[in-house]
Amino acid sequence: MAFPKRTRISGSIPTSSMADIAFLLLIFFLVTTVFDEERGLPIVLPEQGETQEVSQTNVLHLTVLEDGTVEVKRGESPTVTRVPASQIAGVWRLGFQQNQNLIAAVKTAPDAPYRNMVAVLDQLQSAGAERISLQILE
Amino acid sequence: MITGGLTRKSKAQSNIPDSSLADMAFLLLIFFMVSTTFRSEDPREVEFPEAQATQKLDEPRKNILHLFVEGDGSIYINDLLTPTANVSNVIAPIYAASDRRLVVVLRADRDVPYRVVDAVQKELQEAGAYRVTFYTNLAQRVTRERR
Repeated sequence: MAFPKRTRISGSIPTSSMADIAFLLLIFFLVTTVFDEERGLPIVLPEQGETQEVSQTNVLHLTVLEDGTVEVKRGESPTVTRVPASQIAGVWRLGFQQNQNLIAAVKTAPDAPYRNMVAVLDQLQSAGAERISLQILE
Repeated sequence: MITGGLTRKSKAQSNIPDSSLADMAFLLLIFFMVSTTFRSEDPREVEFPEAQATQKLDEPRKNILHLFVEGDGSIYINDLLTPTANVSNVIAPIYAASDRRLVVVLRADRDVPYRVVDAVQKELQEAGAYRVTFYTNLAQRVTRERR
């Protein structure tokens, strides 16, 4: 009677590919993770009841209309020009060159879509305007 | 130089110990899995306006409050439909709890009439939350040239 043959199967679990699997998962999660960041156009609202007397010469009146055009009026000057929202940055830069104390008073028509106001605000902030007042057209 | 006798065989192992590699990889994996916060898909059908001057908001998440304004003018704070007149009542305690550092991110639909946004702004002023950010998507240069 022959001796039974010893089994040669190894008793250890093959772990050599485990790192590969783990790294694969790791890289998958690294790539698919999207960090949600907050972004937008920041603005500080005036305090309630806070009114400031501003000389009309320092005010650039911008009236945002329903169709996306903007009526521009400088201070007390009676001339009103209508420009597309995309030109407001240029208007602001020109006005700011002449008067460093310029304030942008943005008045938006109640029925104008929100994005028209954002377009003007975008142009103003792109041009470096810091003193912006947001109002509604009454 | 002649050395007497046999040179001793080096017993240093030549293979890199890789048994802990999987442990390290899993550790990193689990760290990323735990620290990832999955944002549930926006339940609101809101399309945000685009702006080139879009800035990243550097504010701790706990000081940020999202206020959604849908295209039909309905206002949602913390997923709760809030009547316009109630906004200041809802915001004021949150603002006080935030140690007056609250930033309200106004996520309004691009086509909502401005009067709704104006009413929200007035409510925020009433609540004392003066720091507001109009949420926008960064406009791509290509679309700007096309415009």
